Amino acid sequence: MEFGTAQQKPRAESVVPMINVVFLLLIFFLMTATIAPSEPFEVAPPESRAEDPAEASQPLFVSAEGDLVWGELKDDAAVAAISSARQNGDNLPPLTIRADRKVSGQAIARLLKRLAGAGVTQSQLIAVSVE
Amino acid sequence: MIDVVFLLLVFFMLAARFGLDNAIPLSPAMAGGGTYEGAPRLITVGRDAVRLNGSVVAPEDLTDKLVALMPSTDAIVVLRAEEDATLQELVDVMDRLSAAGIQRVVVAE
Repeated sequence: MEFGTAQQKPRAESVVPMINVVFLLLIFFLMTATIAPSEPFEVAPPESRAEDPAEASQPLFVSAEGDLVWGELKDDAAVAAISSARQNGDNLPPLTIRADRKVSGQAIARLLKRLAGAGVTQSQLIAVSVE
Repeated sequence: MIDVVFLLLVFFMLAARFGLDNAIPLSPAMAGGGTYEGAPRLITVGRDAVRLNGSVVAPEDLTDKLVALMPSTDAIVVLRAEEDATLQELVDVMDRLSAAGIQRVVVAE
């Protein structure tokens, strides 16, 4: 019996367009990614309705117990390093403070006073949006 | 090569932190110019109560009472945390103030 011509084998999907798309995505992520510095300890920033975007600068981490970490440095060394970094540069972005929401408010007030003594006049507190 | 590219793609997708964080500008008590004008405006944040110039106020009434004490909306307001107040409670009060258009909040020790 004749069944006409055999159905044509479907052509294999060509890979080239897919590679193009994948490369595009790769380049997109490469450009947009800011490799997040790893946190020295778990920090849950306070919730706020503030919507100003943070300016990028190396964050000063404040734990729930009030410990300070800036880069590799801790407490007094961190404040000293921030102080010397501030003296060497003009037009620096505000210092980013990434503090835990459970840290005492007084610790933050004391920290701000210490930072002001170290030459930091502008700082920003990182917050997360209220869900 | 495709495998490697896919791997990189997945890595960057997972490692990327999208969107910038929100920021609250903070100023310490001694920074910034300007002089203090008008009636005293000291907000004390405690664990269970917010006090304006020493008397307890309901959080909803805080901004109304505060605005009445302010010569203009860009006057300075002093915010003080008590020993047992957490940063979250401080930020909640700051949120209320900024919602009422009060821009210059100074955190004092």
